[in-house]
Amino acid sequence: MTEPVISVRDLRVEFVTRKGILRAINGVSFDIMPGEVLGVVGESGAGKSVTGSAIIGLIEPPGRIAGGEIRLHGQRIDNLDPESLRRIRGRKIAMIFQDPLTSLNPLYRVGEQLVETILTHTDLSPSAARARAIDLLNEVGIPAPERRIDGYPHEFSGGMRQRVVIALALCAEPDFIVADEPTTALDVSVQAQIIALIRKLCRERGTAVMLVTHDMGVIAETADRVAVMYAGRVAEIGPVRDVVKHPLHPYAKGLMGAIPTLEAEAERLVQIPGSMPRLSNIPQGCAFNPRCDRVFDRCHVERPDPDIPRFGLEGEAPLMPGHRVACHLYTRKTVETAS
Amino acid sequence: MMAQAKPSETFVEVRDLKRVFDVSRPWLNRVIERQPKAFLKAVDGLSFDIRRGETFALVGESGSGKSTVARMAVGLLPVTSGSVLIDGVSMTAVKDSQTRQQLRKRIQMIFQDPYASLNPRWRVERIIAEPIHAFGLLKGEQVAARVGELLTLVGLHPDDGRKYPHEFSGGQRQRIAIARALASSAEFIVCDEPTSALDVSVQAQILNLMRDLQKEFGLTYLFISHNLAVVRHMADRIGVMYLGRLVEISEGKKLFSAPRHPYTRMLLDAVPDLGMTGRQRQMVAGEIPNPINPPSGCTFHPRCPLANERCKREAPAMIDGVACHAAEEGRMP
Repeated sequence: MTEPVISVRDLRVEFVTRKGILRAINGVSFDIMPGEVLGVVGESGAGKSVTGSAIIGLIEPPGRIAGGEIRLHGQRIDNLDPESLRRIRGRKIAMIFQDPLTSLNPLYRVGEQLVETILTHTDLSPSAARARAIDLLNEVGIPAPERRIDGYPHEFSGGMRQRVVIALALCAEPDFIVADEPTTALDVSVQAQIIALIRKLCRERGTAVMLVTHDMGVIAETADRVAVMYAGRVAEIGPVRDVVKHPLHPYAKGLMGAIPTLEAEAERLVQIPGSMPRLSNIPQGCAFNPRCDRVFDRCHVERPDPDIPRFGLEGEAPLMPGHRVACHLYTRKTVETAS
Repeated sequence: MMAQAKPSETFVEVRDLKRVFDVSRPWLNRVIERQPKAFLKAVDGLSFDIRRGETFALVGESGSGKSTVARMAVGLLPVTSGSVLIDGVSMTAVKDSQTRQQLRKRIQMIFQDPYASLNPRWRVERIIAEPIHAFGLLKGEQVAARVGELLTLVGLHPDDGRKYPHEFSGGQRQRIAIARALASSAEFIVCDEPTSALDVSVQAQILNLMRDLQKEFGLTYLFISHNLAVVRHMADRIGVMYLGRLVEISEGKKLFSAPRHPYTRMLLDAVPDLGMTGRQRQMVAGEIPNPINPPSGCTFHPRCPLANERCKREAPAMIDGVACHAAEEGRMP
């Protein structure tokens, strides 16, 4: 058993506002192994991006990490002082943001930005750093990198800019990359190229990736495991094939059915009534209970934690190892009226 | 209630539609830098029909001209040449304001971003009643009753009319936008990416609502989207756009089971889909070229695996639903 690159335990993130404390993340736990892509999906407000920001230490006041642990190779990083964190960030952990235009400085040449990052994190000489920058651009699939390295960000198209951002993230050969909606701003044909690139990097370098997106299609194709988040908690986590094909949590089921696909024949899409609760108004017990069609008494009082499902529902596929679901339906002490 | 839709009847006719934008630098720059004027052909000779009561979808990547077509179809953007005929009446040719008003009443639009398309300073009831007042359809208390009816129709409560847009979520705002579109009993609704700003579970609600309303009122939709799965779910017929031209028009499901244009095939190959976990994909080469200086001949030829000399020279005509020399010559694998 290899050691996980990143290990998150019972993470809590709060935002202190005038109206009280909002819990954006409330008890999230997961591990990511070397070379693994963990997909994190959920709708806006589920806490996907905040989880990513917490790991990389980018939670700004009024937000704060209120509890739990984040470990990188077994070493705690959530309580480091800013200076030690800065040494890890970029070198060990990197981030790819959604909008490549805002993560590149428009006033500096692409090469200068790459070289600066390489010089900060490694002992290379400036000329070696430049050679390395060209290698990186080549690796992420930018044609004629010797020439393009002296271009400004505005001279690159959206897809090419996102490649530069990925190259930037790879500068110090990090062990872990948080990719927050890396393909959302891109067209489908370019999106496919970026997905293939991220997968290739994972396989070849053994980098662990946390891929945050709202696009289940991207997750289905890129991730090894997937965590479905709802209202600041993990509702279901497991191997991607199991979660996509046989979701267990009623929310995950609804979510999969709500997505139009290129294959299924459906006259109507599955509709989950209502919408995600506001952070200021998360229901008692299971946060999904007001929208759930299988709700029972226990859901209103007790908050479920992700657990190995012990009971299947009728007609459920055999349960897979590593599949965990936060739903009382699967951990019932006694099997209730199975109707 | 509308008359029951006769499925074969052509309702919207778009003929050789063109739109050119002047994207030249300012005059002084042009003189000093000796640059010619630059033009961007956003839409270059588009023709298609929409039958009454059907959903016609336009798909394509950004920069393909989808939204420009949508804006011209509702008359928000003047056409450079060509025509849009709605129920036999051309919006551009009509000079008589009364007839134009009559026509306008029957066309509405739903925009992509429900945060930008609703006036934040107006109460929802006023937003929805705007078309009713603009066309002088109802008066006095009837207006309030109609607004309540419309709100119920789109799944909101009549009392929600007293609120302001910021009190609603994205999905609810899009419902308000739909209610507004229905207020003048429009028959033809142009939907420009109506769900791309929404979360998937909300998207499902809105798409279902749009289908229900279409059945109930016999609405005709021009549905613009970049999401092929959504288009497949919604559309009866689909047009695929590339750099301002239609490359393929096909019956809904057929486009996905038997795509005929190389670009359509490439797009379908590129879409990440739920059913494709762990699939190894064919890599797609290149990106959409700069529309100011599009490639010669068939604009897709630099990315096309089947391109030959003729494709570089000659722009293909739309023959039997596909504009491609390779398909015409039977070179498609």
